[in-house]
Amino acid sequence: MEWTRQIVRYVIVMVLQVLLFDQLQLWGACHPYVYVLCLLMMPITLPHSVDMLIGALAGLVMDVFCNSLGIHMAACTLLMYVRPYLLGMVVNDKDRLNEEICLRTLGLGAMIQYTVTLVLVHHFAVFMLAAWSWAHIGFVLLETAVSGVVTILLIISYNILKYR
Amino acid sequence: MQTLLKILVRYSNFLVFIALEVAAFLLVSLNNAAPRSGMLSTANQFVAWQHEQLSEISGYFSLRSQNEQLAQENAALRNRLCAMDSAQSGMTHYMSAKVVQMTTDKLHNYLTINRGANDSIRVGQGVRNSEGVVGIVRTVGRNYSVVLPVINTRTHISCRFAKNDYIGTLQWSGQDYRYAELADVATHMVVNPGDTIVTSGLSPVFPEGVPVGVVESSVLKEGASYHTIRVRLFTNFKRLKYVEVVQNAHQTELEKLTNGMD
Repeated sequence: MEWTRQIVRYVIVMVLQVLLFDQLQLWGACHPYVYVLCLLMMPITLPHSVDMLIGALAGLVMDVFCNSLGIHMAACTLLMYVRPYLLGMVVNDKDRLNEEICLRTLGLGAMIQYTVTLVLVHHFAVFMLAAWSWAHIGFVLLETAVSGVVTILLIISYNILKYR
Repeated sequence: MQTLLKILVRYSNFLVFIALEVAAFLLVSLNNAAPRSGMLSTANQFVAWQHEQLSEISGYFSLRSQNEQLAQENAALRNRLCAMDSAQSGMTHYMSAKVVQMTTDKLHNYLTINRGANDSIRVGQGVRNSEGVVGIVRTVGRNYSVVLPVINTRTHISCRFAKNDYIGTLQWSGQDYRYAELADVATHMVVNPGDTIVTSGLSPVFPEGVPVGVVESSVLKEGASYHTIRVRLFTNFKRLKYVEVVQNAHQTELEKLTNGMD
């Protein structure tokens, strides 16, 4: 039941990502990848390697939509690899991690730390791989900051609206 | 053996991570090096269809400017028909196409058009519109293709000055979709703002003289052997709706000849 819910949410978020967030061409540097919301909030009950496979697959789907074969796959795999270690660092009470990762299970402080770190890691990886050279590092950092802030705000507000 | 297995089990997560990352990086570098399959890009039937539906909807909001553009295009086509000389006739064929999806604010912008292998589109064909050059076909699917536009840092297009046939290479720096740079123009050449740049016709991609842009500014840096030339592009990539694919009847033959040289 839980996983049906996760999949339905993934489909809805992907539709919004492709139809709405990919169409935003604001300020030239705003490309929020809000689909990571599904990966961030996925329950942590599956084996770590399965988690990474799911991440790679979700990344590959995104890649097909943005003509960037491999880039989102690499970034999402990295995100899913780091996720359990980061959760271990921000959460003291491990028993709470049996359900979905959200505001209710983590608390506001930990949720913000967790979201900010993972979103920035993912976005930086995506933009750096897309640039494929150090020559554009200034633009890559700007892109990461602007898009990252938008993605983080959207994920946190979704959590506040849904799980307060 | 036992220890090896133990190590493998112990680090299995890390190994899965490395394997997936290696696969992803392979895909990235393959993708950077050469055209990919139509399946895993926006030339994919489903992805392109979805973008097409979206552009149908948003199309209603720009009907007026589209009409203007089409009218201008008609006029330009009629002019071209008159001006067509015997040297060029039969050599190039234009296939009109609709832009289904496009980005203008990334380092690697792409556009998807609603023509593919079924309309005899092939990799390496040039794309233009009534204003000027648009780009080069990169990936061909069955009914859709992905085009590498001028405003992608990986695009290089051979151009020349309209006034004296001096040749340079058009590149894009990744900043502004309205401007590109003309490289490889030696310092002895006099460059003035306002000079018109057109395609050189040296590659089979574009015929000679397709408009590209005008020189906005030209800087000669201390000790440099080439001008730094900023070109204002004629093509407005922000409102690109219809394009034409340039199909050179002799492209295969020309490619075979040049490939044989290497």
